[in-house]
Amino acid sequence: MKRQAGNNIKLLFLNMFFVIVCFISMIPILYAVSVSLNKNNSLLSSNFSFIPKAFTLANYRAVFVDEPIMLWLSNSLILAVSTLVIALGTGIPAAYVFSRKRFAGRNLILKTIILLYAFPSLLSMTALYKILSPMGLINTRIGLIIVYTGTEAVFALWNMKGYFDTIPKEIEEAAMIDGASPLQIVVRIVMPLARPTIAVTAMMVLIYVWNEYIFAVNFMTGSNTYTLAAGLYSLQAGEMSGNWPIFSAASIVVSVPILIVFFALQKNMTTGLTSGGVKG
Amino acid sequence: MDTYFKEINTDNNENTSCMINKKNSHIGKNKAGSETLKAYLWSAPSLTLICLIVIFPILYTAYISMTNMNVYHWTNFTFVGLKNYMDALLVFDNGFISALIMTVVWTVVSMVFQLVIAFILASLLNVKGLRLRNVYKTLLIFPWAMPGYVSILLWKTGIYNSQFGLLNQWLSKLGLEPVRWLSSNLSAFICCTIVNLWLALPFMMTIMDGAFQSIDKSFYESAVLDGAGWIQKTVYITIPMIKPIIGPSVIITIFTTFKQFDVIYLLTQQVGARSGSDIHTIMTYAYEKAFVTNNYGYSSAVSMLIFLMLVAFTMFTNKMGQKKEDL
Repeated sequence: MKRQAGNNIKLLFLNMFFVIVCFISMIPILYAVSVSLNKNNSLLSSNFSFIPKAFTLANYRAVFVDEPIMLWLSNSLILAVSTLVIALGTGIPAAYVFSRKRFAGRNLILKTIILLYAFPSLLSMTALYKILSPMGLINTRIGLIIVYTGTEAVFALWNMKGYFDTIPKEIEEAAMIDGASPLQIVVRIVMPLARPTIAVTAMMVLIYVWNEYIFAVNFMTGSNTYTLAAGLYSLQAGEMSGNWPIFSAASIVVSVPILIVFFALQKNMTTGLTSGGVKG
Repeated sequence: MDTYFKEINTDNNENTSCMINKKNSHIGKNKAGSETLKAYLWSAPSLTLICLIVIFPILYTAYISMTNMNVYHWTNFTFVGLKNYMDALLVFDNGFISALIMTVVWTVVSMVFQLVIAFILASLLNVKGLRLRNVYKTLLIFPWAMPGYVSILLWKTGIYNSQFGLLNQWLSKLGLEPVRWLSSNLSAFICCTIVNLWLALPFMMTIMDGAFQSIDKSFYESAVLDGAGWIQKTVYITIPMIKPIIGPSVIITIFTTFKQFDVIYLLTQQVGARSGSDIHTIMTYAYEKAFVTNNYGYSSAVSMLIFLMLVAFTMFTNKMGQKKEDL
């Protein structure tokens, strides 16, 4: 009996501890949500609370009406979908071949891919600028798509190859015996089995493009070519200037799709990633 | 899915093996050659893309690093050999060496805090009888789910800003003067570390939590029977058991921490909004040399040095991994 009570007190403290930790870790987000929903942001007044006292959606309205956020969204989507199609379209057959076939040069290429995977594309920004600018591709969507595709092609190849390695080869051999052509095998058998990794890789590519700001800011100069990330970057409040409530509303708007995707795919996320990248 | 595999396997196993044997007897050397050709045909689009967009720019960066390309010599640059590398490595005042030291300190500090805090959180999450653990886990994962740059900007304005920031609002409530958190080096370093921890902890905690759950509980029971306390259990059972499981993730995190750019750049060095502090990791250093002071040749040399370090580190960790597999 005594031990039971002691345990309960311990659990009570533990629960209190976790409630506090969760709250602390959510403060930056809660604060932004609260500011974005609060009508009179007399921010300098010291009686701030996390629950808005005067509720309003005006800041969200301002984000959609006053700022060209729909334009930024469509820019981001065009970039994301193009990158996705190219990276996966080229990546799936390559990942399959590297997982299944043994051929001359395979190991060397895979080792190179690991090294490239460690290379942050930020470091070759000057070179990329220098290469793209004579072709007139700076300040165009195609230029950014090229940059993003490079980074994501390496990721897609490596990540999906790792997952294909975990699919038993015997299934395909069986289909081959039954007279299926290589193309049929890939489309009918491999693709359905690889659906989790294709989904996760696709999501990672989308999230990458959605969140990438440094190339978007440096390579795109006009505000009508901004992506969501670049647009949000331009909206941020400075030390003394800027509209903090509108910025926080825009931040929430930009984050919600990513949050939904993340929590919807959370289970796949860990398996699709760990079985891919880590195992090699 | 597993049962699906098994069914197909049992149906075809016998047929497969004898058919393959038959096939193999017909096939000579040509097969290997045509297989290689086919493999390259299938992977050609991907490999071409990677060569053109990733490898070529790296080689071009290596080339730029041996020239004096800068804002005055954008097109009419000349070849200067290894001068930029010498400048980076031998002239301490140029700041590369101090940025490198700073990066190592930053990585070590971040990793130590991450591992310790994630370990504590994960072990507390696994206390028996904690019913709401999944709720806590979901809430604690939130920082991971948010887009990184958005979180950093929210921290910058919502927490650290001298006017809107929560910290200063609380200070003024206490009747204290507002502090410019990001303007001095030490406090900026601490602020950046906190944000980085906030961003990275959820991943580490998830990995550790998974590792904890894979430990066989009977180990603890017999240890308790032998009279082991919490410390002995942790040192002799928990840590050795989770080490191989979290190893790869820890290495990945060391990489990302070493390469961290966003936190420090967005908090302290945005163009036109520099916070006054002067902390540099090698990544922000390379970026600044290229896009703020426009010294492209020098910046490319720094980039190549960073790349070489990453290559060395990758090969080192891969070798370690292979050794372990051999054992």
